[in-house]
Amino acid sequence: MSELDQLVTQIKQATDYQTNKRILREKILTDLHVAYNNGLFKVSPELIAFLATWPSDELFLEDTYENPIKIVRTEFLSLCQDHYQRVMNTWHIQFEEIKRARRI
Amino acid sequence: MQDVSRGVLIFAFNTEAVDYVAIAEQTARLVKHTLGLPVTIITDQEVDNTFTNVRAGYAGGTAWRNGDRYTAYDVSPYDETILIDSDYLVLDRSLLTLLDTTEDYRLQHNGVGNMGVLSLDYVWATAIVFKRTEKTRLLFNLVGRIQRNYSYYCKLYQLRERNFRNDYAFAIANNIINGYTPNQSQGIPWPMLTIDKPVKQIEVNGDMLVVREDMAKFIPRQNLHIIDKDYLQSDLHVKFVDQICTQE
Repeated sequence: MSELDQLVTQIKQATDYQTNKRILREKILTDLHVAYNNGLFKVSPELIAFLATWPSDELFLEDTYENPIKIVRTEFLSLCQDHYQRVMNTWHIQFEEIKRARRI
Repeated sequence: MQDVSRGVLIFAFNTEAVDYVAIAEQTARLVKHTLGLPVTIITDQEVDNTFTNVRAGYAGGTAWRNGDRYTAYDVSPYDETILIDSDYLVLDRSLLTLLDTTEDYRLQHNGVGNMGVLSLDYVWATAIVFKRTEKTRLLFNLVGRIQRNYSYYCKLYQLRERNFRNDYAFAIANNIINGYTPNQSQGIPWPMLTIDKPVKQIEVNGDMLVVREDMAKFIPRQNLHIIDKDYLQSDLHVKFVDQICTQE
């Protein structure tokens, strides 16, 4: 195999960091979804902050599918915090792995 | 709470070129391992599989091997069904989340194109989550009607392709049944990762996957739609499934 062929083979085996990064982010955004009381929510810092500061224990929130879902605030807040922390930790760990595998 | 049965349905009709039943058997192993749900393969072949519920002979298995999807509502033995193509590898639990919501059915709208320059966006019929409701029954019946009168709907919706595609039939039916609106906000709210290039190998690396095509993709473990049927029929794919199914 010539040097040029070897280079072509190596390049073909390389991985595209930007593509990997984008796919990882899409997966994390998928994983941030959580089902609660027949509704589906994407957990975000805004949602957690809202739940943490809302003054009453029960409220209704619009979910991803535009339905008003009854929320028990402390219960849902705890669920969202745990879920968010776990998913973001996973993102950080997998992002570091992708950086290690970076070729181009 | 009332007992509700849940399971996964896979259609698999062999063609001269592709052993879809063998592919579906591997897909069923992944589903069983990842989601812990029972699997029913709809086929016209005998399937040697101890854990899979097989309904041989259902849905005809006509020359066009991908044209019976509309029968899924009638042949599914489950109250809540995840209908997937045999080339859809279930490697995460995201589809289970959708079963915990109230909508009648969920289609994959994200990341697709249109059915023609002057037509609507289509959906991926590769993964559909549905519950046994009247609206869902109407949807599947309508897909059957569209299939039987496809040339008419091709002209009505100004479709680019004349070959029947489930993706288009479900998009049209979904449009009609929702008052001629795309109803995208009620779809699966995340994109589906489709690998449309030839696949050399998929390797497991902890929680990550290495998908080797022209270039390698180093991605988190997630559901994959693999277009390359040669790879799905290869020993390498069986080894990959073995590897996944032996993980905790």
